[in-house]
Amino acid sequence: MAASITHPALSSLYKINSNINGIYSLISFNRRISISSVRSSSAVATETEASGRGVRGQRRSKRQAGEPRSERMAVDQDWTAVYPTAASFKPAAVPLPVRMGYPVKRGVPPAKKGNLELIKIPNFLHLTPVAIKKHCEALKQFCTEWPSALDSDEKCMKRFPIQVQSKEFVSAGLSLRNPDARIVTLKVKLSSLNLDDHARKKMIKLSEERYCKDTDTLTITTDSCPLRKQNYDYAMYLLTVLYHESWKTEAWEQEKTRADMEEYEWEDSPSQKKVLDTLLRMRALGAKDEVEEGTREELLGQPVVQEYRDTMLRLKNEGETEENLHKYKEAVKKLFNI
Amino acid sequence: MASSCSQALGHHVFKRSRILQIHLQKSWPNRSFALNSAADQQLAVSSPEIVIPKKKTWSKEAVLQALASTVKRDPTASDYRFQDDPYLTPKTSSEFKLFSLSQESGRNAAKYFINTYPKYFQKDYAQPHIPCLMPDSLEAQIEEESEAALVERVRMRKVRAAVDLFDQLQQAGTPVSLDVTNQLLDLICLYGDHDPTQENVPEQRIEETEDVQDEPQAKKGRGAKASDLLKASWKENNNAERIFALLSEPNAHSYSAVIRGMVKYGAHSKAFSFYTDLLNSRLKADVHTFNALITAAPEVKEKYNEKWELIVDLLKQMAEQKVKPNLLTLNAVLKALRRCGTVGRSQAFPVISEMKSLSIDPSLASYTHLLAIFYKPGAPVQGQTDVLQEVMNEVSGKSFSPQDPDDALFFITAMRICLDTKDMEQAYRVHELLGVGENWRLLGKDFQQNIYYARFFSLLCMMENIDVMLKWYRDLVPSVYYPSSNVMRDLLQALDTDNRLDLIPLIWKDIKQLGHANRQNLVEELLTLMAREKHNQEVQESFAECALDIKKIYDTGDRGKVLLNWTAGSLNDLISVLLAAHRTRDAWEMLKLFKTHNRVPSEELLNKFLVCVKEAGEVNQAVELVQISAGFCLPGTPKLIQRVLQEFELTEQQRNMLSDLEIQSFNSD
Repeated sequence: MAASITHPALSSLYKINSNINGIYSLISFNRRISISSVRSSSAVATETEASGRGVRGQRRSKRQAGEPRSERMAVDQDWTAVYPTAASFKPAAVPLPVRMGYPVKRGVPPAKKGNLELIKIPNFLHLTPVAIKKHCEALKQFCTEWPSALDSDEKCMKRFPIQVQSKEFVSAGLSLRNPDARIVTLKVKLSSLNLDDHARKKMIKLSEERYCKDTDTLTITTDSCPLRKQNYDYAMYLLTVLYHESWKTEAWEQEKTRADMEEYEWEDSPSQKKVLDTLLRMRALGAKDEVEEGTREELLGQPVVQEYRDTMLRLKNEGETEENLHKYKEAVKKLFNI
Repeated sequence: MASSCSQALGHHVFKRSRILQIHLQKSWPNRSFALNSAADQQLAVSSPEIVIPKKKTWSKEAVLQALASTVKRDPTASDYRFQDDPYLTPKTSSEFKLFSLSQESGRNAAKYFINTYPKYFQKDYAQPHIPCLMPDSLEAQIEEESEAALVERVRMRKVRAAVDLFDQLQQAGTPVSLDVTNQLLDLICLYGDHDPTQENVPEQRIEETEDVQDEPQAKKGRGAKASDLLKASWKENNNAERIFALLSEPNAHSYSAVIRGMVKYGAHSKAFSFYTDLLNSRLKADVHTFNALITAAPEVKEKYNEKWELIVDLLKQMAEQKVKPNLLTLNAVLKALRRCGTVGRSQAFPVISEMKSLSIDPSLASYTHLLAIFYKPGAPVQGQTDVLQEVMNEVSGKSFSPQDPDDALFFITAMRICLDTKDMEQAYRVHELLGVGENWRLLGKDFQQNIYYARFFSLLCMMENIDVMLKWYRDLVPSVYYPSSNVMRDLLQALDTDNRLDLIPLIWKDIKQLGHANRQNLVEELLTLMAREKHNQEVQESFAECALDIKKIYDTGDRGKVLLNWTAGSLNDLISVLLAAHRTRDAWEMLKLFKTHNRVPSEELLNKFLVCVKEAGEVNQAVELVQISAGFCLPGTPKLIQRVLQEFELTEQQRNMLSDLEIQSFNSD
């Protein structure tokens, strides 16, 4: 028997055979293999005989499925006992006639039995309102009382302006650890900080994209340290440093040019010069050629010029909208007495 | 599925942001001094003291345990071990056993591989580290002969190797300290001088002749019985005694180890002689020795009084030597009292009260022994129901933890007593106790659980009405309990008593699923019950369906194996059921089966058939009926012929045939 074996896979089959012969619990497997080993001499014949058809009429009858569990479920059963934790969709345990999937031409979406689409998607069968209520009741023992003085959102924001967010992860797997749990996000509104104009501008400049103008929120996200506590300390440190640095004025800040400005200022801008120039020219056409310093302020003090200034500021700072452009047009017209 | 929860405005905010709060409002205290009283009041009103409560701490699993306490048992689900799928959940009790054992054996096989080839399994994936998944070191590390090596072998429980090493050390002359020798003695006496059976090692056919204990446990269920039969006994002059003799000054611990080993392995009188040696050497025995001796006491004496006196004697000595008894002492005494007959009954309660005064609380094992003392199995009940009630009063509502191996017997003993005394109320109380706290752990192994539920069920069938019975049935079957065919018969009888025979088709479905469809008695009883009376139309229809289903069982399976044999009674019943539902055609085919299986139909059946045939108006069938009847030489054939002749319109041929038959039957009478 050994001599006739050339197929390497089958040689291992024969080796297993001799060990299997000793184990009496694997009787039928034993019988099939030993019969095949006795009969066959060629590799191909062994394979077909061992794999498929009933040897000596011993075809095992196909195992029948029992009835699905959903048949025995009472209408008023406790669903939280059926799905206590997150689990994949079990068609036998869910008594709903759900269908999912792309329907075949002129057909319906496939039924739930053996439907992979239903199994793939996450389900929230374990989080029905009843279940959540029960969980909340059970978790109340871990909670302390909310301070009675903090009964509105504004008070909370006023007394505790810094918000710190971090995530905890629970999953069943080889490891309990999840590296994303170390990320800490710190949010604070700059209006709640004690900043003057210069400090505020400097802070915004220092924090670059971490500052959101619409909500006036500074968001610091730290994930560079391996532990959450370290990241939290680092975030607080950053906030403190930003605050103190923005209050200091360095020597080189004097060199701030017009291009570094955050907002458009009308004073000393080309626009102001041009307006002045134009007005002077307008005046000069009609009157003597007197250019004095005093007239400058006088000219600038005129309401039309102020209005022009306002519209100009609005255009540059807020952007070009219909309204702003319209106002600009009006201002210009007034300026030129059109 | 990972679920993430974000903590916004959590305790972080309250604690940590106080830094900023202080920073912001640093000037406040200063300011408040400068203000006048009105402003002061205003300030006080607008900023009341915010009291932030201290954070609670809890253990790591506390949250999970709290959430787990919200989940109750699901009555439709099977055991948590199995896959929740209609193909893969076990439907019969043999499948249950097979599946759970195969899981265990798979686990054992995996463990075996990990331990045999540890070098491939060194990488640790689990965080935090799970020690029980790493390979065990099964080989002793220290090779040279020294005490440390001996200690290591003792720790790894290698009895044979430890004894050999000890002998080597003795021969080499190295002194072995008393402590280490005591540990060695403990080991030998615990395992009875054999190596403990390795559960993870597959069977080895090569055995030495004296390794009777080493007969490996093939499967846990069978193994338990096998090893009970092959329980080792204490041999003469075995290693323990030999090593003991080598000791120059054995101390109490050595004596204790040897005595306990002797008692465990059945050498009771020797244990007592050793005890006298102990007393002679003026050493004090400890509580474990006394427990062992009390356990051995009933074996040594014959009469009840003597046994009890010996136990009392031992207890007195215990008191003299100022050894405090513990729970195991109480249980040992009660267990011994079981063998003491009437003395046991009178002494049991005083013992318990005395122990209670010593602040030893009885565990479930004590109650088990107590119940066993008063309710002997098989003995007639003599109005002793109070004891069970008192025990239940003591025990209800309490959660017990396992303290004694006999704790697991409490529930089945209590249920046996309830069954014997037919006490439903106490049975409910016992079952309720099972739901309290951790008591479900004390129900024991799977087969003990089965026994418990079988008894509970039989009691329910006997005592309760059908609705309650069905409620329990739906609750327990098949998620917790797979009834045997006897219990199903009890259930059928209960249905019969309460006149709910319309539920039979449902029960039949369950019977089929439980795998009892091949029990001859059960199926025949089912058929008889169905055929006995006439019910309304729907019920008859369902009965007919059921009957056809049963018929399929009787037919040969696809393997050519015959599961059930037709008997005359079953055939009769089946056909009457079909007739009652007016399925004449099916009934007609069944009639032919009488001939093929050599059974004789009864007269009423043929009469009933005739009535049906008359309703259908099939004349030919009527004639055939008569022919069949004549073929079997039934005594009622003439009457049948008369009826057919009268009630049916027959052709000449048929009339002639019938008259021939009549003459034939007349002649044969």
